Amino acid sequence: MSATMVLGKRALREAIRQPDALFMTMFIPIFFLVVNTGQAAEIFPSESTEFLEGQGYGAFQLPITLLLAASFGMAALFLVEEIEGGYFDKLRAIPIPRYAMVLGRLVAEGAKGVVLSTVIVLIALPFGISIASGPLGFILLIGLSALWGVVYAGFMQCIALKTRSAAAVNSGGLIFFPLLFLTPNFVPRDLLTEPMEIAATLNPVTYLMEAMRSLILDDLDWEKILPGFGVVAALGAVMLVLNVRMIKRYD
Amino acid sequence: MEMNEIGGPAVRAEGLVKHYNGRGPTVEAVRGVDLDVHTGGIFGFLGPNGAGKSTTVRMLTTLLSITSGRAEVGGVDVGRDPDEARRRIGVALQEAGLDPRQTGRELLVMHGQLFGLSAAQARERAQELLALVELEDAADRVIKGYSGGMQRRLDLAAALVHEPDVLFLDEPTTGLDPASRLTVWEELRRINGHGTTIFLTTQYLEEADQLCERLAIIDGGIIVREGTPDQLKADLRERRPGGEEPTLDDVFLDATGRTRDRAAGEVQEVAA
Repeated sequence: MSATMVLGKRALREAIRQPDALFMTMFIPIFFLVVNTGQAAEIFPSESTEFLEGQGYGAFQLPITLLLAASFGMAALFLVEEIEGGYFDKLRAIPIPRYAMVLGRLVAEGAKGVVLSTVIVLIALPFGISIASGPLGFILLIGLSALWGVVYAGFMQCIALKTRSAAAVNSGGLIFFPLLFLTPNFVPRDLLTEPMEIAATLNPVTYLMEAMRSLILDDLDWEKILPGFGVVAALGAVMLVLNVRMIKRYD
Repeated sequence: MEMNEIGGPAVRAEGLVKHYNGRGPTVEAVRGVDLDVHTGGIFGFLGPNGAGKSTTVRMLTTLLSITSGRAEVGGVDVGRDPDEARRRIGVALQEAGLDPRQTGRELLVMHGQLFGLSAAQARERAQELLALVELEDAADRVIKGYSGGMQRRLDLAAALVHEPDVLFLDEPTTGLDPASRLTVWEELRRINGHGTTIFLTTQYLEEADQLCERLAIIDGGIIVREGTPDQLKADLRERRPGGEEPTLDDVFLDATGRTRDRAAGEVQEVAA
């Protein structure tokens, strides 16, 4: 087994043994799904709201729920804990590729993202939410959500490697977090006010959200889906380069 | 003490320097350390707090970049071929750096796999090491629940997974109660008895006297004394005739220019 997979397996075990963290990762996004849908469902009835494509407002809110859940990864905080406790140095003294030390946790975040996203979608199904793009769309939806989780955790991991501080990681989260909300979160982009529409258009997360929404509300519409994968690919590449550079320069 | 055959150098440092360049003035943590540690022995590296002990160990173990000079472990240049150097060394640093959410067995198996053993080989090696450090009963408990002494022993075991030529231990008994300290000493003698060279930093002079065949004392980033404990004591006796038989404490105080009052809290004696 490669060093990345060995460390990934370890990171998964670590996550499973911290069930309270997993619970919060699930609870907060589902809480927002219920609250936001409860508040806006009457304003946007499915029968008369064109952009809902015949589904309830919960279906429109599901992408932000999945993105929120994927953005609550604990990888960076576990890494800081490991640096502070000295175990990270123990791993650095082992002749494994340096990149394996950062990729291991990201592989685990990806696996965790697949499981959590699947559970959230399965919870949503009995409440009248369906995946209009079918089984392939379901797989793409879960894949996008999990990949976003990996990208987000990777950027947080960069902050952890640079600062070695839990406070800085938490602050970093607060900087990145608004990106999730500068998006067509409550209504489609063309219904936003002009400043918000400009902000959402400049925000790469918008394209990810629109791809996910398209998978839930429409048939497979590659014009909307591919930009979402393009965003995670581009941000993922930047994140990987930064992570590998930082671990190689770690002293 | 069990003695080993003395061979070539297991650790060699020539003009080892480490500077830290931060926002303030450059800190010269290590200012030209030369070391020659023979294979098969237990080498003690002593010094007051902030003398450069841990910085030197971190450079020798590839964890810290070297500003200038060179270092070899097991004949491998640490700067040029860090991965090969890592294959030859085991490292247990000042804090028992362990993953608190794994069990002792899981941690050792994982380390075995990271050193290239198959899952079955890693499980077998983990079992051997758990027996060596007498942690078989606690093997399947998560490390968070281990006592300080148990964590130290597991840390030692983790450092031995790949049967390293040289074992670096940075203050392995700091913070342990006297009984746990004695247990660690016994482990170290046993490990050394199997032929592993041990490079040990400690603040406990009696520990150095009990365990080490050779010592170096570092102060202000340079080596100020080096030799066997008996040589160092004899040297001091020659320079200060007529007084009481010098102890290693006296050697340390003489070498670092400290008085007993000033040294209190920096270097401690242990009643073990």
